[in-house]
Amino acid sequence: MNIIETQNLTKSYAGVTAVSGLNLHVPKGTVYGFLGPNGAGKSTTMKMLLGLTRPTSGSFVMDGKRFPGGRTQILKEVGSLIEAPAFYGNLTGEENLEIIRRILGLPKSSVSEALELTGLTQYRRRLAKKYSLGMKQRLGLAGALIGRPPILILDEPTNGLDPVGIHEIRTLIRSLPRQFGCTVFVSSHLLSEIELMADSIGILNHGRLLFEGTMDGLKSGAAAQGYPTDNLEDTFLALIDADNRQRGGIR
Amino acid sequence: MSLALECRKIKRTGLTAAFLGGELLASAVPVLNMAYRPELYLHREASPVNVLLGAGWQMMVMLNVLLIVTGACALYHMEYADNAILKMCSLPVKESGLFFGKAFLIAGLSAVFLLMEAVSVAGCAVRWFGTGREVCGEVLRNLGFSLLLLLPAILLALLIASVCKNMWIALGVGVIGVLIATMIPAGQFAASLFPFALPFRTLSGLEQETIRGYVTAGAAETAAISVLEIILLRVRRAFQ
Repeated sequence: MNIIETQNLTKSYAGVTAVSGLNLHVPKGTVYGFLGPNGAGKSTTMKMLLGLTRPTSGSFVMDGKRFPGGRTQILKEVGSLIEAPAFYGNLTGEENLEIIRRILGLPKSSVSEALELTGLTQYRRRLAKKYSLGMKQRLGLAGALIGRPPILILDEPTNGLDPVGIHEIRTLIRSLPRQFGCTVFVSSHLLSEIELMADSIGILNHGRLLFEGTMDGLKSGAAAQGYPTDNLEDTFLALIDADNRQRGGIR
Repeated sequence: MSLALECRKIKRTGLTAAFLGGELLASAVPVLNMAYRPELYLHREASPVNVLLGAGWQMMVMLNVLLIVTGACALYHMEYADNAILKMCSLPVKESGLFFGKAFLIAGLSAVFLLMEAVSVAGCAVRWFGTGREVCGEVLRNLGFSLLLLLPAILLALLIASVCKNMWIALGVGVIGVLIATMIPAGQFAASLFPFALPFRTLSGLEQETIRGYVTAGAAETAAISVLEIILLRVRRAFQ
């Protein structure tokens, strides 16, 4: 069963089509890796799913609720981290989460749980503007995870983290469906990262979905088309390159 | 809910202290006027409240409106500086709810400074003009009138701050608006309906018909700016 489904989702800005006729199918209780080079339209898609930007055409359904009618209901069930972490610099990490907790009407314990999950407990009373980049990213993740929402939308969540932090967050994301039964829709431009945590993937280039399915499906499909399959990064690059050539040499 | 959240968000911004400082300064205007040059005012024929407001209201209201403009810029800068508004918009709250929460917060702070100024004016009337408690009614009527006429200025300052992500642009536009408002002559009714100019009007010397005109204009501008903000937010979302 798919928890997120988009139907011909399209977003155009002043003559540029950022996302074109996107049909995504994100299975419930899995980690879905959303891959694509910079500027492929990943963040735009995620922003549309969160109602931060209005689709030019098309629609989507999240957990049975259709956008835009069910926007408020959808947002109650979605935890998100989009682009850079967003927070109030004049408040501490704990106070930032407290604001989110109050909006979502969650129990008080959810703040300490989210801090614990992301390893920020000992820094909870530090002002968010004084956090390091990695700690800000963790705070953003804590804001997404608070209250254990059934759907998580994470845009490049390991940005700015050191290798240890990347490993911790990757392990955390990997464990979320099993631990809390949630679905994670995570974007990255690093195939190696997605390979380690995703159950299924979607590859986006210039706003178009080139592939959707499992990692094995990607390998077999690529082999059938004569692309390299020894290394998934090579497969990804070959797919993107072929699409760019087909589109007239756009890179 | 929105107001409670806005109150939490302003922690450590210095906004409350800035408003308190500005309020004390504005409230000191009639006191200083009467303390240093009482001979200019004591023999006038108008009511003590009219004399006191006529002498210091322009200065007091300019401080009030500048505080409102600065406060609005600070409130939205807090949202834009570290992109907190993006997080807020991805939560089940309406962006217009944030706007009205901020409007209630500034309106509340403005009501406090108007009250302090009213106490100051009433105190001066009793101390220097020897009036009794009857002055309270006149001062309170002026306070209510001023608060109503401040609402469009509050909403316009917030609208400008919400549209401009760069705080300095919003502050510049707001300050220019206040300066333009100070240049509008009192006799020109149509020009004095400019939202930043409305609060400069007091009840003194106004006819019932004119008072009704200002009250209607204040209410209409409040509603119009609110609707305009909602439309602007929708348009911005469509183009983001």
